[in-house]
Amino acid sequence: MTEGQPFPDLDLPDHTGRERRLSELAGGDPVVLLFSRGWWCPKEQRHLRELAALQDEFEVAYTRIVIVSTDPPEVQSAFRAGLGARFTFLSDAERKWLGRLDLLEESDTTHKPYRPTAFTLFPDLTVHHRYDGFWYWGRPTNEDLRQDMRAISSRVRGDFERT
Amino acid sequence: MTDLPHGAAWLSFDGGALQAGEDSGRSFMVDARCLEGEPVPGAFAHVCALADEAAAVPYDQPEVQQVRRDALAWWIPLLGDAFLCLTTLALDESRCAGAITVMREPLRLDDDPFARLFPATLVETDLFCEVPPPAGPVLERYAGVAWPGGTFAS
Repeated sequence: MTEGQPFPDLDLPDHTGRERRLSELAGGDPVVLLFSRGWWCPKEQRHLRELAALQDEFEVAYTRIVIVSTDPPEVQSAFRAGLGARFTFLSDAERKWLGRLDLLEESDTTHKPYRPTAFTLFPDLTVHHRYDGFWYWGRPTNEDLRQDMRAISSRVRGDFERT
Repeated sequence: MTDLPHGAAWLSFDGGALQAGEDSGRSFMVDARCLEGEPVPGAFAHVCALADEAAAVPYDQPEVQQVRRDALAWWIPLLGDAFLCLTTLALDESRCAGAITVMREPLRLDDDPFARLFPATLVETDLFCEVPPPAGPVLERYAGVAWPGGTFAS
């Protein structure tokens, strides 16, 4: 998936085990969609703590955050609680979408996790920007995400700038 | 009476019973999705609200923001499969009169964060349907619709 392409409307259970669709979670708002290795990776723990710090801005800005990992829902729920996160985690423990999205991290044959990758999406799930985060510095900083949310919001909110 | 925004529905509460519409007791605007689907019979509504017309707080007040954060962070996950739907109770563009959490069985009622706003009453009801829980982290309301309802999607 590259910029301008539609992202698939993922259907996966959330951290409580309920079936959800990505389009429903977007709810007509811009989205940060982050594929994560899982709770056990120190890089993921660090990056998601950073993202949790950003949720105080997302909660007032009509923008969403969705995390996908191969952790089962009950593990995600515990990890989410530990982070103090208020956004949704989707569980692909069955690796339903991992192959289709071509996001398998091939260097980890033990966990077979997602390769850390982040997408910023328009409300209709069109990709605005992709970040390859195998190397930690490839991941979006919170400032990158602010800039992306500003760019998307300015395109989709008709009254973003008063003329 | 306030005009009903798109995505909202009327619900009345007389201090002991709930009724769809605005004819019986005090009337609130709720997230319409909670009343639009197939009703679940024998559900339990934990109504954190009063029939007293004066009982209201601004949505923007810190305690009203915090209970919504708590709902997203741990209240809804705590209820698990018992959770059916949740709606705050809006009086107009700015005032909140409480919230209702609907569940299949009465569960963890003492933990309901919305009971910090107004005292709770447990009501057995056949009015409500199952609605996916809010995705978070959005706390703001869309065009004045009771949280977590509404959307800017066309």
